Amino acid sequence: MNKAASTLRGTAVTARVGVALGVLITVCFVTGLISHFIQHPQPWFIWPAHPVWLYRLTQGLHVACGIAVIPLLVVKLWSVWPKLFERPIIGGPVRQLERASILVLVASMLFQVSTGLLNIAQWYYFQFFFTTSHYAMAYVAYGAVAVHVAVKLPVVRGALGEPVDPPSVPSVGPSRRSVLWGTAAATVLATLVTAGQAVPLLRPLSVLAPRSGRGPQDVPVNRSAIAAGVIASAQSPDYRLTVTNGDRSVSYTVEDLHRMRQQTRTLPMSCVEGWSVSAEWTGIVLADLVAAVGGSASSDVRMISLEPPGPYSRTIIPARHARDADTLIALRLNGQPLDLDHGYPCRLIAPTRPGVLQTKWLTRIEVVAQ
Amino acid sequence: MTATRLLIGTAGLGIGVYGLLVLLTDNPWIILVRIAVWAGAGVVIHDFVFAPVCAALGFVGGRLIPRSWRAAVGVAALCSIVLGLLAIPVYDRPGAHLDNPTVLDRNYHHGLWVALAVVWVGAIAYLAATALAGLLRRAAPGDDQRRSTSTDADSSESDSIRRLAAVPTDPDPVGGDDAQPHSPSRSGMVTHAEQVDEPPGPETDH
Repeated sequence: MNKAASTLRGTAVTARVGVALGVLITVCFVTGLISHFIQHPQPWFIWPAHPVWLYRLTQGLHVACGIAVIPLLVVKLWSVWPKLFERPIIGGPVRQLERASILVLVASMLFQVSTGLLNIAQWYYFQFFFTTSHYAMAYVAYGAVAVHVAVKLPVVRGALGEPVDPPSVPSVGPSRRSVLWGTAAATVLATLVTAGQAVPLLRPLSVLAPRSGRGPQDVPVNRSAIAAGVIASAQSPDYRLTVTNGDRSVSYTVEDLHRMRQQTRTLPMSCVEGWSVSAEWTGIVLADLVAAVGGSASSDVRMISLEPPGPYSRTIIPARHARDADTLIALRLNGQPLDLDHGYPCRLIAPTRPGVLQTKWLTRIEVVAQ
Repeated sequence: MTATRLLIGTAGLGIGVYGLLVLLTDNPWIILVRIAVWAGAGVVIHDFVFAPVCAALGFVGGRLIPRSWRAAVGVAALCSIVLGLLAIPVYDRPGAHLDNPTVLDRNYHHGLWVALAVVWVGAIAYLAATALAGLLRRAAPGDDQRRSTSTDADSSESDSIRRLAAVPTDPDPVGGDDAQPHSPSRSGMVTHAEQVDEPPGPETDH
């Protein structure tokens, strides 16, 4: 081992990079749980409909912080890598326990970062379901981080109280401080080359973002009409949108829908994969359709797509969002009739909801009995 | 502090065990094996491929690259590694769908190489600027009246003087890579630009 490198490694670097990692991982964990509980509602979980950009912010942060973790993780593991070969390799039970906890920490963190990065590029190279494994492993990783913090807290506090570089550091050449500055630079770079998929100002710089932010009618698509198998049914002259409340039911043709009172709202389309764009949606306020069949403002509402049954072909929109005046059944997007890939003839667009729950190619809206 | 540590540790253990239980109850054993293999492969690839390769490159770089260049080259190398890692899932667009041209819709080959070029041009520009600053300082010996130590022969910049005045003989451990040109040199007479071939200090013997 090169002594120059070993003087650069040190608790001063590990502790500082570790603190930054701890902050970012906490943001990832919390925003990830928010996204999970929006998609798997719990009675105790209250998610507001306003401000309309709230989910755009939390999920954008989730992915951006997950990406920012990468350079920090590289440097953190670099700073402690020689410890892997410290004697005794096996040691007593305490040593084994410590090593096992580090193994769980590193393995679960690499798992989270690698599956997340592949998922935003829709590269399902791993042969397990992303959402459930990323969700469960998040607890394992965060728990391991907490245990690690508990074990290392005195070391971290000690290291933060001491100068970064030893007084004997050579005046020329790399220092621990330059390692920290370099890590910060790499973290900023990783953010710049990807965050444009959520931050329009950064788009020109985000050369490695899985999404440019472009698409039909200036909105990207996650599930196309071809993939959903709705090309024929969505354009059929027999198409009807049926709204039901118990045994009351009203069916609308596309022309009927266009004749109803139209509202325009500026709402973001925010994907779980971290990309988001703001767009202008025009359509009918959902609450008006619900009221037309005598539905209550305190009822949840089920959205059913023309898409054959699958995980996202039907969703339930909670009453708080269903009655919100910003929740539309959209017929137009950015001034044009909805593109087939955006859910023609009509789709749900509600504030602070992930795109995957903004059901497209709606065929049926059911007021759920309380 | 013991109570805090105990609290954090116990909470962490609880959260981690909960995650394991969710994993175990949500997945058939074959999926669990795949998940474990993926997680384990990450560790093995990092610890026994990625890290050794980086260490070897660092070792070689430490011998071939002049000392005063190493910080900038090291930062550029780290940035390049990060760009490379971020490019893995997009470079050849393995997740592209024929039916959806809005996924992976940038020119990632072009993007990666431009980003790498920016990083390395930036590193070279930084080295050139620090070398030039060193030359300029030598050409124009500055305001001597505020010099506080005889070992400082290279600086007329006010911020370095301020720092040197505050810490007259310390080789400025908090100066960072941007402070290298201002740090007092051991010989007392050479600037950082001339220290390129100077024998390394006691901390850096190979």
